[in-house]
Amino acid sequence: MRKLTLLILLLCCFFGAFAQQTQTVEMADVMRSSGKIYVVIAVIAIIFAGIAIYLFSIDRRLKRIEKEK
Amino acid sequence: MKLMGQTIHLLKKEILLEWRSKYAFNGVLLYIVSTVFVCYISFNLNPGFKGSNGYPIVWNILFWIIMLFASVNAIAKSFLQENKGRLLYYYTIASPQAIILSKTIYNALLMGLLSVLALVVYMLFFTNTVNDLLYYFMIVLLGSLSFSTVFTMISAIASKAGNNGTLMAILSFPVIIPVILLLIKLSKAAMDGLDRSLSYSNIGILAAINVIVVASSLLLFPYLWRD
Amino acid sequence: MKFIYQTWWKVIAVLLVLSTLITGLLFDVPRLPIIHETIRNLYFHVPMWMGMLTVFVVSVFYSVKYLQTGKEEHDLAAVECVNTGLVFYTLGLLTGMLWAKYTWGEFWSGDPKQNSAAIAFLLYCAYLVLRNSIDEEQKRAKISAIYNIFAFPVMVVLIFVLPRMTDSLHPGSGGNPAFGKYDLDNGMKLAFYPAMLGWSFIALWIATLRYRIRLIENKKNAI
Repeated sequence: MRKLTLLILLLCCFFGAFAQQTQTVEMADVMRSSGKIYVVIAVIAIIFAGIAIYLFSIDRRLKRIEKEK
Repeated sequence: MKLMGQTIHLLKKEILLEWRSKYAFNGVLLYIVSTVFVCYISFNLNPGFKGSNGYPIVWNILFWIIMLFASVNAIAKSFLQENKGRLLYYYTIASPQAIILSKTIYNALLMGLLSVLALVVYMLFFTNTVNDLLYYFMIVLLGSLSFSTVFTMISAIASKAGNNGTLMAILSFPVIIPVILLLIKLSKAAMDGLDRSLSYSNIGILAAINVIVVASSLLLFPYLWRD
Repeated sequence: MKFIYQTWWKVIAVLLVLSTLITGLLFDVPRLPIIHETIRNLYFHVPMWMGMLTVFVVSVFYSVKYLQTGKEEHDLAAVECVNTGLVFYTLGLLTGMLWAKYTWGEFWSGDPKQNSAAIAFLLYCAYLVLRNSIDEEQKRAKISAIYNIFAFPVMVVLIFVLPRMTDSLHPGSGGNPAFGKYDLDNGMKLAFYPAMLGWSFIALWIATLRYRIRLIENKKNAI
């Protein structure tokens, strides 16, 4: 368990360093390339993720009812 | 016509009751004066503030915030104060529309008087040049009318839902925000002395909100009343 | 109420949304500065608000019906519609914030439309708090129905009237006309209207699912 937490901690450090490197100029990142089409993709992804999460919550509620039967 | 008669009768009763005790009036007046005084002392701690550019804006907004809290406190009483037996008695002698209408008119009168007094006290402590003073007073009166129409209905709902003040604030603030936004915009225009005709459309929206609120309270209150 | 158990409109909803996924991404769009390709978000961000509005309108409808008849099912329908509407609200807000980040520069730029939307959220949270504050079932149903009807016109004024009066970055505000005025050409309309309709039906569908679950739960608790 301790090893695992250490690993996760180290990973986090790595990601922190990684993020620092990439965070340079905000003007030309991925989201702004090719006519900002990635923004549209992200929007669709958000909508789908939201609806999926909502579906799971409904599913859990239904499961509880089924169990009671 | 019966509705009118009942409303006037109930309104007379409300005013008479208030005249005897003067509890709501004195209480809220004291509330306003002490709030203004607290603000005055707190702002005096920062000597350079009065001459700064932001002063008129803060002056205007602070006045409306004080009025907002004062009217929540004043109007929350209108239904929370009444005990169950007396409400039942009203129910047997008058129509529900007359009750809500009389309460709204009474609150509007009370708030109108209080807000004019509050403005006088406020201007005494916080000196500021208001270019179109008459117009500013009219907007303050309009504001107190809108506050009372919204808060009277919300106070009726809150009183049915277990008599607590927190609920009153939670329910009423989202409803009152559009009203207070319009009021701040209007009063700012009056303070700057802009041409009156420029703000007629905002007054129109405010009047429309009032009409909607009064109409929906008249429609909904009978249902709220029935137990 | 037979309508909610039928399948045909759900199929139509899915087909409509599916078609807009394709047409929305493939059709030609007007070339505008700053917005670029993100104008396609019009087919995905705006229908979220349409879906929210649809279920809120249905909710008000059932609140009115509850006050008239006093049937408990109407109250359950109203509250489940509000719950679904809040999910669509959240999606609309999140997608709007992302879109704003890459066109206006900030996730939250204090725009009147954004602020009004936040206030409207408070309004419906207040509705849910009001429901939780009352224990007695019939009283809760009645009072929350009254608040729901009372709050709805205020919400409409907040989101759809006030921002139009003030200067705003959002289209359809101040001197800034909605997309429909000048660049919603016929090609875009072909994808936009089906999207609005399709997502409204999807929102309605989710609300009916929740309502049906709620009905079963309610029946069980009653026994």
